Amino acid sequence: MQIAEPLQIAIEELSKLPSIGRKTAQRLAIHLLKSDIDAVEKLLSAIQNLKTKLRFCNRCFNISTEDLCDICSNHKRDHSLICVVEEASDVIAVEKSNEYHGSYHVLAGVLSPLSGVGPESLHIKELLKRFETEEIQEIILALNPDTEGEATSLYLAKLIKPLGVKVSRIARGLPIGGDLEFADEATIGRAVLGRITL
Amino acid sequence: MILTSVKLKNFRCHKDISLSFSENLNYIVGGNGQGKTAILESIYYLCTTKSHNTNSDIEVLKFGENVFEIFGSFKNLVNDEVRVIYSSEENKKRYLQNGKHKHRLSEVIGNYPIVLLTPVDHSITFGYPGDRRKFFDSIYCQASAAYLGLLVDYNRTIRQRTSLLYSIRENRNKNFSELDAWTQKLLETGAELINYRKNFFSEFELFVKQAHSEILNGNENPGLTYFYLSGYDGKDIKDRFAELLEAKREDELRRCACLVGPHKDDFIFDINGINLKTFGSQGQHKTFQVALRFAEFFYLKEKTGKAPIFLLDDVFGELDTARSVRISENLRRVGQTFITLTDFTDISYLHKRSTDTVIKLMDGIVTYA
Repeated sequence: MQIAEPLQIAIEELSKLPSIGRKTAQRLAIHLLKSDIDAVEKLLSAIQNLKTKLRFCNRCFNISTEDLCDICSNHKRDHSLICVVEEASDVIAVEKSNEYHGSYHVLAGVLSPLSGVGPESLHIKELLKRFETEEIQEIILALNPDTEGEATSLYLAKLIKPLGVKVSRIARGLPIGGDLEFADEATIGRAVLGRITL
Repeated sequence: MILTSVKLKNFRCHKDISLSFSENLNYIVGGNGQGKTAILESIYYLCTTKSHNTNSDIEVLKFGENVFEIFGSFKNLVNDEVRVIYSSEENKKRYLQNGKHKHRLSEVIGNYPIVLLTPVDHSITFGYPGDRRKFFDSIYCQASAAYLGLLVDYNRTIRQRTSLLYSIRENRNKNFSELDAWTQKLLETGAELINYRKNFFSEFELFVKQAHSEILNGNENPGLTYFYLSGYDGKDIKDRFAELLEAKREDELRRCACLVGPHKDDFIFDINGINLKTFGSQGQHKTFQVALRFAEFFYLKEKTGKAPIFLLDDVFGELDTARSVRISENLRRVGQTFITLTDFTDISYLHKRSTDTVIKLMDGIVTYA
């Protein structure tokens, strides 16, 4: 079957996006084709703005519109606390909790020798530099509880502890409002091990 | 849970056959190459979505055909109908339970637990430590999801650390503190894994002793020993693990391999204190293998609350009459069992009962005796 070339190019480009398959790409392309020119232009400029208006924060590597992100430049926040996360999307997740009022540091990945990711490819040097200019009292490691996340936590703890700063790791356990019977066995096992006295 | 019937189309040598089964013992009898093991294999497919002796579905397809189909009816509290369909043209396999497509293995595993004893079990008592680890891991993983998670985590750590050791040797990486972090991760996950295995093993050993004495009437006393962290003398596991890691550090860097940890564990079997692997006879090995599978059966039954289906492929070949009779008598306690036999006259001593079924296979024709 012959597909008009512009449509075909649009489908190809859309299907390069994560979690978009060929069929979804085709549906999106047809949808855009049918949409008003206004809507399409809005989408276009929104996408363009991602690249032109956004950059990474000089200090914490969070997504930002300025050299320093809103969190780093906010004086009301507790800058003696740094929460270390894997990706900028994790900052959004922790922020949504409204429970944390310190600052962040985005590593942009975790250690994974199999994929060729070592400490030099992560923002670890920049994290250590922050100790020279900032008064830091505690580092909270909030990396994913998988093999690579745990190894990275151990690596960071070893680097930071000699600097005389408290290093902690976020707790693991059951989701709030979740039913115990639906939690997986590994999580329940961890939660029982990490129980707290009332 | 009982498998009441199976239909096969273009599966191995079977063009199109239907079989119905007893709730107790099912003897599948026939000459060489008549497709006895293929029937056990099809039951294995119904319970696990795959074959026990090959990784590629196309090998199971009858020569010159494009599609095989297995249809099975299970009787439980409710009846389940399971279909496995494979098409070589699409290279696609479908697993349907009561007409519903099951996409994930985890949706199927554990629904119909199964224990299989085959001549390949030879490797558990005769083979390498890796064969024994695989055997025990497969049992424990079915009983404990926490252990499965830990094992996956540990194996991933080994792969990551090995890759790092390579890059250090090739001078792409001189960061030893990164290695230290992965060593720490290995130590923590590995020590937890060893603790799990110790607990599992002390419990499982009782099941093996019980099964062995029932088969043999107590003439031989089997023993199992779990070997981990060479030179371990009862102090803290982590301390000994760390000592060994330190001692092997140079070796590990030179050979680019993780040389210490539970991935090197072994399990030693003995009879009356004498090492089975070195001194055991063929019959003693076979008896031990049977006892291990019986132990697996009763262990899983206790832990999961479901009685597995028991498949025995060609067990009686290496055993004397007394042991064979005791095994088949013990199988009556078990529940539904499938046993392949080569010679029809062989089964006279097994005291077949009216509730048992004998299925005779010859040139694709099924007869019941």
